[in-house]
Amino acid sequence: MTSIRRHPTTAVLAVGLACTGMIATACSGGGSSSGSSKTSGVTITVALATTPPPKASLDAFTASTGIKVTWTNTDWDSLQTKIAAAATAKTYFADATDVDWSRVGELGKLNWFYPMEKYIDTKSLTADMPQITSFTDAGHVVGIPYDASFLVTTVNKALFAKAGITTMPTTIADYTTDLQQIKAKSVVQYPLNIPFAAAEGLSTYWYQTTAAFGGTILDGAGKPQFATADSAGYKAAQWMVDALKNGLVPPGNINVADSQGQQTLMAKGTVASTFGDYSGNVGSLYDLPDSSSVVNQIVYLPTPGVSGTAPNMSNPDGIGIPKQAKYPAAAAKFIEWFTQAQNQADFAGVSGPDKVMTGYFLPSRLSGVSLLTQKGTLIAGAQLADMLKNSAKPVFPEGAPSWYPEFSRAVYTNLHAAATGSMSVADAIKAMSDTANKLSSGS
Amino acid sequence: MARNHWLRRFGILLILVWSLTPVYWAVNTSLQTDVQVASKPAHYLPPTPTLRNYRAVVSGGGDIPNAIRRSTVNIFIECGVATIITVALATLAAYAFARLRFRGSKILFFAVLATMAFPAYTTLIPLYKIMSTFGLVNTYTGIILVYVSGFLPLATWILHSYMSSLPLAIEEAGRVDGASRMQVLWHVVLPLAVPGIISTAIITFLFAWAQFLFPLVLSSDLSTQPLTVAIAALQGRHLVPFTLLSAAGVYAIAVPALIVVTLNRYIVSGLLSGSVK
Repeated sequence: MTSIRRHPTTAVLAVGLACTGMIATACSGGGSSSGSSKTSGVTITVALATTPPPKASLDAFTASTGIKVTWTNTDWDSLQTKIAAAATAKTYFADATDVDWSRVGELGKLNWFYPMEKYIDTKSLTADMPQITSFTDAGHVVGIPYDASFLVTTVNKALFAKAGITTMPTTIADYTTDLQQIKAKSVVQYPLNIPFAAAEGLSTYWYQTTAAFGGTILDGAGKPQFATADSAGYKAAQWMVDALKNGLVPPGNINVADSQGQQTLMAKGTVASTFGDYSGNVGSLYDLPDSSSVVNQIVYLPTPGVSGTAPNMSNPDGIGIPKQAKYPAAAAKFIEWFTQAQNQADFAGVSGPDKVMTGYFLPSRLSGVSLLTQKGTLIAGAQLADMLKNSAKPVFPEGAPSWYPEFSRAVYTNLHAAATGSMSVADAIKAMSDTANKLSSGS
Repeated sequence: MARNHWLRRFGILLILVWSLTPVYWAVNTSLQTDVQVASKPAHYLPPTPTLRNYRAVVSGGGDIPNAIRRSTVNIFIECGVATIITVALATLAAYAFARLRFRGSKILFFAVLATMAFPAYTTLIPLYKIMSTFGLVNTYTGIILVYVSGFLPLATWILHSYMSSLPLAIEEAGRVDGASRMQVLWHVVLPLAVPGIISTAIITFLFAWAQFLFPLVLSSDLSTQPLTVAIAALQGRHLVPFTLLSAAGVYAIAVPALIVVTLNRYIVSGLLSGSVK
């Protein structure tokens, strides 16, 4: 899944720990690869945390290739557990499955996925599929992004207008002033949604805010770039905690996770803005009358930065081929088909409801987004396409480190503690920084 | 005395509130629409109770009802068969440990009990590997075997306690009358142990029903996925359908809740067996 990460279950953590423990041995041994090279007359299993494409589309793929697809839809957390368990046990689980951006380093080190360049010309994809860089580990492409996801700032333009704000903020200073104005004019009591629950969503929110303050989280060696008070990461953490303490964020958000805040606060007009929102939420949540009371009120905002537009942090989902796949070549053919521009546009609704893949909103290919934009079927399509092309950047330019899950836990645990007041921002940053230093040094 | 009485009542009330509030909240959420659930302040009672979430979960021919129906069949098969095998094996083992004297019986018994101390997660990967090697992943057999291996020690322990509490004199009388050991077990011990066997079966069934991690890993699709796993898959990629999940959750706890409410005395007697001489 993408920005909407729930707190990993104990099961995920347990298997994750086992998985991490296996990394060292896996690094030396690598996964065995005994899959068949057959590309027709076979049945492959595809396991993703999403509903399948329409049956007619899959049937068309089968008719053209001779490859039958068995689709397994598992929720994201459970799927990660299954992947980790299968990777650790080195057993077959699926021919193609989820590769999340945050686990690229871990899965790369496990050597459990085939390098995609073995089957697909990944270099030629880079220009059309900008987020593919998030799936590169040690020079190998671990997965192919199948939809685009990045963090965006969303604002309720009606609530901003009620506060007399007609020009949208372009810097984080202006953005903060506008939020204060909304509160001062009692348009809403708490204008900003920050999900302070100790969960992955808090980490990604902080990454996005750090980018807005003009910084990065880790350098290429995994060393923290947020340890000093003048660093962007430190300022971002301070800004988030201050927003809560100064009454810009609902006090109850201490226990609100990202999707919960979007569904129960932003979609109900209780808050006026979410700084790190999911890039598909306007079309998939805020403009749906069944789940929203702010239809046609929410717009994407070029992320306000220190002195202008800031980058949008990418957090896409990819699809890769496990080394234990029975039919890796056939799986590669499926991935090629699944990530074709026209198919992606069809899944997102360009050719009508019959070809829609439920829950699919934004193609990972720029050409796929263009098809949607030309047809006018994607809400704010031009804006999203521009962000995807020009401002969507990976959280970790060198790829997510193999110890990312542990680092992320330290981030959300300590930021949550700083928000509750049980520790200072300085202490939280120090704890996060110490964790990054420890993990990056291999101790 | 009066003070203790009130303290006890307060303690019971606290436990009840602690235990039942999540269930109440799930039922309350399941009877509301998405808009009502997200409204502020929260509704402590459904403003306009609706069964549409339950209909969405169980009725019709869509993907979700089909998945729920199939996984309901699966969970009954897996829990039912695992319970029968577990209780049958545990009865024999418990009787042997309770009545037969052989070298190393105590060590063997405590070794069986000791396996309960292992965190289940530590056995997940080895079991997955074994099941994969024998082609038992995504089969009823694989899941049932894992359940049996997991619940057998507890079932043996409960039945051992129960059988140990039965009067030995009746069995001895049977032996004096010329019955073999198996005849004594079948005609004398088992009839007396029925309450213990029932309580063990109920406890095993309830434990099996609540399983998530093992069937999640050992099942790949709806041909074997139990209800608990299928419900988790209702979560969307970017959205959490609170009302739908609540309705599915309430549906899933209906059977165990019914068992606990109607057969409560057996569960209690099973858990207390052997504790009082």
